[in-house]
Amino acid sequence: MAVEQSDYEEVPGVILTDRNAISDFLKTTKAQDVLNWGRKNSLWFMVNAMGCCGVELLSTGMAHYDTDRFGIIPRNSPRHADVLIISGYVTKKYLPALKKIWDQMPSPKWVIAFGDCAISGGPFYESYSTRQNVDEIFPVDVFVPGCPPRCEALIQAFFELQKKIEAKQDRGTEY
Amino acid sequence: MDEKVGPSEMIVHLGPQHPMMPGPFRLNAKLRGETVVDSEVEMGWIHKGIEKILENKTYLQGITIVDRICYLAALTNEEAYVGCVEKLAGIEVPPRAQYIRVIMEELSRIQSHLLGMGEYASFVGFVSMFMYTIRDREDVMTLMDSVTGARVTHSFLRFGGVKDDLPEGFKDDVKRVFASLRKAVDSYEELYSSDEIYKSRTVGIGVLTAEVAKDIGVSGPPLRATGVAFDIRRDEPYLVYPDLDFKVCVQKAGDVYARVQVRLDEMRESMYIIEQCLDQIPDGPLFPEGTAYGRRTPVMRVPAGEVFHRVEDPRGEMGFYMISDGSDKPYRVKIRGPVYPTLQGLPPLIKGVKVADIVAIAGSMDTCTSEVDR
Amino acid sequence: MDANTMIDSLSTQFPDAIYDTKVESKIRIIAKVKPEIVTDVCKYLKENLSFGHLCCEFGVDYPGRNEIEVVYIIGSYDHSVVLTLKAILPRDNPEIESVVPVFWNANWYERETYELFGVKYLNHPDLKPLVLPEDMLGEWPLRKDYKGFPNKAAKNLV
Ligand code: SF4
Repeated sequence: MAVEQSDYEEVPGVILTDRNAISDFLKTTKAQDVLNWGRKNSLWFMVNAMGCCGVELLSTGMAHYDTDRFGIIPRNSPRHADVLIISGYVTKKYLPALKKIWDQMPSPKWVIAFGDCAISGGPFYESYSTRQNVDEIFPVDVFVPGCPPRCEALIQAFFELQKKIEAKQDRGTEY
Repeated sequence: MDEKVGPSEMIVHLGPQHPMMPGPFRLNAKLRGETVVDSEVEMGWIHKGIEKILENKTYLQGITIVDRICYLAALTNEEAYVGCVEKLAGIEVPPRAQYIRVIMEELSRIQSHLLGMGEYASFVGFVSMFMYTIRDREDVMTLMDSVTGARVTHSFLRFGGVKDDLPEGFKDDVKRVFASLRKAVDSYEELYSSDEIYKSRTVGIGVLTAEVAKDIGVSGPPLRATGVAFDIRRDEPYLVYPDLDFKVCVQKAGDVYARVQVRLDEMRESMYIIEQCLDQIPDGPLFPEGTAYGRRTPVMRVPAGEVFHRVEDPRGEMGFYMISDGSDKPYRVKIRGPVYPTLQGLPPLIKGVKVADIVAIAGSMDTCTSEVDR
Repeated sequence: MDANTMIDSLSTQFPDAIYDTKVESKIRIIAKVKPEIVTDVCKYLKENLSFGHLCCEFGVDYPGRNEIEVVYIIGSYDHSVVLTLKAILPRDNPEIESVVPVFWNANWYERETYELFGVKYLNHPDLKPLVLPEDMLGEWPLRKDYKGFPNKAAKNLV
């Protein structure tokens, strides 16, 4: 319905519905993009400090680096989390617990392998009690090398993850 | 712990993934109503076999591995390890290097206490404190970063010296950071002592008496909070600590509040030590002159022998026992971490307390599971 | 009391059980002890010489001599002398009396030595693995002839 030249007064910064803004937005934007946009901007991560890298994980989530501004918030419960960060060595004893954490997280969910230990075993690659090749067990999305990687590297990893989510064309069926 | 549960009893598993401390650990607590009747700690979730790895690495390679024993006190771990080798091989560390080591180790103590204290505050529901301490910790980390080039795992010490000299302008940076840190520590103390909710959760909770603490083998701040002035820096001095003026901070009460207070006082004391060091530090070489030791450590064989060397970690007494058989790899290295007995003493300490206090008590010990597991 | 008088007092008290004593420096002394009587020695140390702080306890494997050494490092809260006490056990069947009745915190050290070296502690209150998963018991990973060390499973190494 065409709206006549309005008798409304112009209010700066406010989109009036009769200007078709929202419907235009919905017409021109794919549902996929809306989904992806929502997902990529609320990447809550699970705080499970498992090794030296865990300290950097703690600092990243806190005041100085302040990842909250990107919608990246540390959570203590796996039920609230979207991203599992494997931050250190996975031992044979801890692996079942880590799998349980992964299973408890609601989809859609992602994994970041943070630090050399999670990628290749790091300095403990020949140890008798650590489990190597974690990427065969968890579907790792982003690898962050370093021992430990800096906090900035983790933020970069989240950006890479966001790009990955943005490019997703699954029509909301996957996960 | 007896696995059988009586009527109106149940077993609650806390962990292994639990925000209570950095690193996974599990506490199985048997409860009757809200009261803990029995409990047991399960360890080993991040056991990585460091002692075995060290036996198979050369002495120099070992430095990077010992960094990762406890990631909040990497420099003191290195000091204990390097000290062992220096004692065995009879290497004399030149004074300038000793001063630099003391400066770095005290900085590391400050950052560890800041993290431990802040994290502890968040366990009792004081999350904004964690934000403050982490913010101030970043400044200290930047200082350490400017010297060692790393934030967590430094690999900074070498046999006979240190890797690098202090950068230019370090003294001014320290002055600037410490001015604000002093204010911050004062304000933490004020916040802690004026917050009624915090006080009611900590004063008189988890009281450890001196006899029990000695029996358990506790060291570091939890022990000093019970009134025992036991500090390796003073009782078995290493490096240049005898030339420095510092006091051992003690508290009488032995409860959770006292432990946090000891950490606050220790941070002030560490700042004082660092300032003295920066005033006294002599010029000179970083490595003993006329020897092969230098930034590039030679392929070295250490004379056969056995040595036990201990240093004061932010958490207590850290000791290494090293057996050398004369080859280029240590025959056996035993790591004695300070938290090992502390964590072991948790079950008797939380017997009879309410569930909500478990976190307050366990957190106040500032335990680092990685070091217990190794 | 200094290191020399301490070691003298110890060897006069247990003339048959203490041997190979050595004073390394003012704050380090070493002695060897017969495994049967280690608990009594520890009790004497704790009560009469104020060695009340067990720093650590661990095993050392010597396959060449077919021996396992159990080493106790005992310090004190009152003086700064540290005593290294060694008990030598046969490698095929290492068994020793537990010192938990004397030093409460020996509990975990002994559990760890048990699972890593296979040293059996008699009269230990609760001898079970501490840090390893249950199914690794019996491999004794810290012995020198352990087969599983370097673990070759890692694939992503450069
Ligand atoms: S990658 Fe390095 S810093 Fe990270 S957990 Fe492994 S050893 Fe520690």
